[in-house]
Amino acid sequence: MKKILNRLKNRFLTKLLVWFPALKEKAVQNVQSIAFDTIPWKKVEKPLSESRLALITTAGVHLKTQEPFDMVDSSGDPSFREIPSDSGIEDLMITHDYFDHKDADTDINIVYPSERLRELVEEGKIGSLSSSFYGFMGHITDHHVTTLLEETGPDVARRLKKDEVDVAFVAPG
Amino acid sequence: MGLIQRVLEEEGIATVGISVERKFTEEVRPPRTMFLRWPYGHAVGEPGNVEQQRFIVKKALELLETMQTPGEIVAPPYRWRRVDYLDDSKT
Repeated sequence: MKKILNRLKNRFLTKLLVWFPALKEKAVQNVQSIAFDTIPWKKVEKPLSESRLALITTAGVHLKTQEPFDMVDSSGDPSFREIPSDSGIEDLMITHDYFDHKDADTDINIVYPSERLRELVEEGKIGSLSSSFYGFMGHITDHHVTTLLEETGPDVARRLKKDEVDVAFVAPG
Repeated sequence: MGLIQRVLEEEGIATVGISVERKFTEEVRPPRTMFLRWPYGHAVGEPGNVEQQRFIVKKALELLETMQTPGEIVAPPYRWRRVDYLDDSKT
């Protein structure tokens, strides 16, 4: 019961942030993310029109047939879902209580623009798309940050490299 | 989000991200970011606004080719709704 109430509370808070956008900046003022001194940098060596691109989302997107992200653990869920890049948007859904995805539920392209990317490939602006895209859930904190940085993140990087991906587009919820 | 960019970039995959939360981006310092002062859940825009979505995706991806300074955050002044975006795909 407590878990259900907690999920309802989280969902209500996300609505408040849509109704009163100014609250958003207040809400994060005291949230400490991890700060880094260095900035990793891979030089881009090919034009986009010759590059293989992957879409990575942190909006909690996954196939309807896949296990939803864990919404009970307050530190988030550092796992990922592998999504075939040619999946129809009708086969996708969002599990994420920490942002209001009412609009994205009607058109998932606003957080996961797979249809737009396919169009850009057809127009020749992007060379090709990776065979899989990857869905994470944002809002990862505490010990799960380490899991993301040391396990699940590098796992996705290995899969992308195996698929000869050059560049990745990362979009949030 | 920025964290995933960091991991991929370190493994040799160049990344660009959209951010709707500038504070986190400044702390996490991913390599290339387009910051939009837009609400959560709408990083690419309005539902059903195909031209806007295409415009935003293209503008973000262009940064892969144009950005030269690691950690740069570009913050274009686009509005997130009730805007007709010119489709410049043919230009």
